[in-house]
Amino acid sequence: MHIKSLFYFFKEALRGIVRNGWMSIASMGVVSITLLILGSFVVLSFNVDLVTHDLKEDVQIVLYIDEKANEGTRAVLHSKLVAHPQVSEVRFVDKEEAMGRLKEKLGDRSRLLEGYEKPEDNPLRDSYELRTSIPEEISAVAAQIESYPGVAEVDYGSGVVEPLFQFTGLVRWIGLAFMAGLAVTTVFLIAHTIRLTVYVRRKEIMIMKYVGATDWFIRWPFLFEGLILGLIGAVIPVIVIFYGYQAAALWMRSNIYFVSLLPPEKIVEKVVKILLPLGVALGIVGSTISVRRFLRV
Amino acid sequence: MIEIHHLYKKYGSDVHVLEDINLTIDRGEFVFVVGSSGAGKSTLLKLLLREILPTKGFIKVFGRDITRLRKREIPYFRRNIGMIFQDFRLLEDRNVFENVAFSLRVIGVSTREINKRVPLTLKLVGLQDKALKNPGELSGGEQQRVCVARAIVNRPAVVLADEPTGNLDPNTSMEIMKLLHDINVRGTTVIVATHAKELVDYFQKRVVVLEGNRVISDRERGVYLNAY
Repeated sequence: MHIKSLFYFFKEALRGIVRNGWMSIASMGVVSITLLILGSFVVLSFNVDLVTHDLKEDVQIVLYIDEKANEGTRAVLHSKLVAHPQVSEVRFVDKEEAMGRLKEKLGDRSRLLEGYEKPEDNPLRDSYELRTSIPEEISAVAAQIESYPGVAEVDYGSGVVEPLFQFTGLVRWIGLAFMAGLAVTTVFLIAHTIRLTVYVRRKEIMIMKYVGATDWFIRWPFLFEGLILGLIGAVIPVIVIFYGYQAAALWMRSNIYFVSLLPPEKIVEKVVKILLPLGVALGIVGSTISVRRFLRV
Repeated sequence: MIEIHHLYKKYGSDVHVLEDINLTIDRGEFVFVVGSSGAGKSTLLKLLLREILPTKGFIKVFGRDITRLRKREIPYFRRNIGMIFQDFRLLEDRNVFENVAFSLRVIGVSTREINKRVPLTLKLVGLQDKALKNPGELSGGEQQRVCVARAIVNRPAVVLADEPTGNLDPNTSMEIMKLLHDINVRGTTVIVATHAKELVDYFQKRVVVLEGNRVISDRERGVYLNAY
């Protein structure tokens, strides 16, 4: 393609956008609104992922060691835990450390622990804190290690962890299904809207065919048009999402401070990476589909 | 230059539009194709422009069978043929100059060449003073002149006109036909499908009569009446 032709196609595309002013605005609006919904879901899903990730990080197995277990049993237990393929982290917490943590947790009320401070009076047990390489497998792993020698009790927050994982899994699947559905809808809407702008110019296309313009010569201005509409249509929701998210993040930080959110710059980076190529692709696919029918002369 | 051999065209399974058409048209000829509505005149022109394919038979233009053209070759073939329509088919939002220039632009002719050729062509059709007007500001005859200018600006070897005077009054029709005649005198082959009996009789050119899907008469210096 010559630079001169490129310039001509671009000029024709702009001319088409300006000439079909309302239709162009409608196309851009359709792209913007659908991508805004899509983008909001992306933002939501990234944050749900982050929260889920945080929660999963907190999920661990606490294994209390039987006080009666001798050194030999303890050594066997330790080596079995370390060798377990699904256990990614093994941390020994002796009862002094456990007491220290408890004191810290109680803060002002640590007076309650007076009298238990000497090692021989410490009622707490030595324990192991374990993390599994796949958080969702925690209950299976807990069941396995319960039968290890020297184990008094295994606690992993059963009854709380399972529903949490079910819930985050469900959110992820619903999100994915919703996004896929939305993407398909967007393609249809854009194809339809651009088809209207192509329809308005069917006479022009017909004349081009009669005087011997090649199909690609006819197609390029429409592709550029779709590209420009898609790009502008994608930039608008990116801006809206950036400022909207910034405000939302600010509000969240001062009101629901325990939920950590991705910083707005990070979110915009992710959203731009998804929405801009998607907008451009949707515009091009839409105009290609639309122009095809009118090329058959 | 144009050879049509045993050409058949039917739409669907049983609507015969053309049956066993055989014609040879030489370079520089002026041919009227006449016949009643539905006789297949427009179909014949569409076949010559390779807008549609025949059911049977072949059409050779410049020695090449155009029924065997590949899809990507069609645009290049059409650059040798100028097409004029009854309903003008001008772009309403572009002025006369741009409408004529359009047919050069879309085949990649340079702006410098366009600026040279378009005014010359507009002068030829007598519209040099209307270059900046929009089609809506022109009379029917003037609009058809723009259409003629658009068809010839690329200097095609053949001009096809489908009922070019169908929407025009008798005087204007005569002017347009004279214009096509002038173009023919300059060496371009002109094929005109028409109903206009007075014009056909006036010009005394070759007349091919289509009736009942077939060629029933083909005479040099013919008149419309000859056909019946």
